[in-house]
Amino acid sequence: MTTVRPDLLVGLAEEQASRVLELGSHTTLSAGDVLFNLGDAANSLFVVERGRVALTLPMKVRGKEQDVLIEERAAGQTVGWSALVPPHRFTLKAAALVDSEVVALPRTALSEHLSAFPAVGYLVARNVSAVVGQRLQVFQTMWLREMERVVELSQA
Amino acid sequence: MEMLLTAAVMSVLGVAVCAALFAAATRGEHVEASRRAEPPALAARRFFASAPDAAPASEPVAIGAQRELVPVEALMLQIEQHIRLEQAAAESFLHTPTEQSLHSRTTSPLVN
Repeated sequence: MTTVRPDLLVGLAEEQASRVLELGSHTTLSAGDVLFNLGDAANSLFVVERGRVALTLPMKVRGKEQDVLIEERAAGQTVGWSALVPPHRFTLKAAALVDSEVVALPRTALSEHLSAFPAVGYLVARNVSAVVGQRLQVFQTMWLREMERVVELSQA
Repeated sequence: MEMLLTAAVMSVLGVAVCAALFAAATRGEHVEASRRAEPPALAARRFFASAPDAAPASEPVAIGAQRELVPVEALMLQIEQHIRLEQAAAESFLHTPTEQSLHSRTTSPLVN
């Protein structure tokens, strides 16, 4: 396991964190391998152990769909929080940018564990909220900046 | 005899001047003809560059067709660079929220 404490497990005691990670299985990805596709059932939450994972959305460029980078996740970061949030469908595509390794935490096992240990559940939920909230804040800022340009162009 | 020679020289000069004038006039027509031939060449390029939305011949469309010749890969790299720069700018704003950092300009080629 990476020496970096995963952002999902910040605040947990060492033993608590180990027990959560023991629920998962290690998956190795080669560069370009797809971890999940847009619209897939979000049956697992992933913690990046090594390498980099790109989160992309399909954008139409000259009539063809191209994967456009939304975010990049590195070691210690969480990918696929849709597994913990209904309706449990991935809203992005995730693919390894370089050879990578992730821990896949099955949704059912994780939910049961978090229900059985509410203190752990609270901390994990707080950490997931931080990941979701950070993305929301970044994207609302980016949205405003792009809107300013759209207005500038429309007035030009 | 002198008069005959003078008449002959004058005739030769006249022919030479006529030939020069004719050559100059013909060259002008040739340039005009090649200029008139240019639009079909542009139209052909437009056909291959953006056949689906080809429009009537006009200068803006020709420029649009040239833009489309930029490889998709290069365009995608520009978009990715733009997103990275904008994300960094957004994160910088969230770290230190000020109006100045909110409206700061990046070096993205898509906005400059």
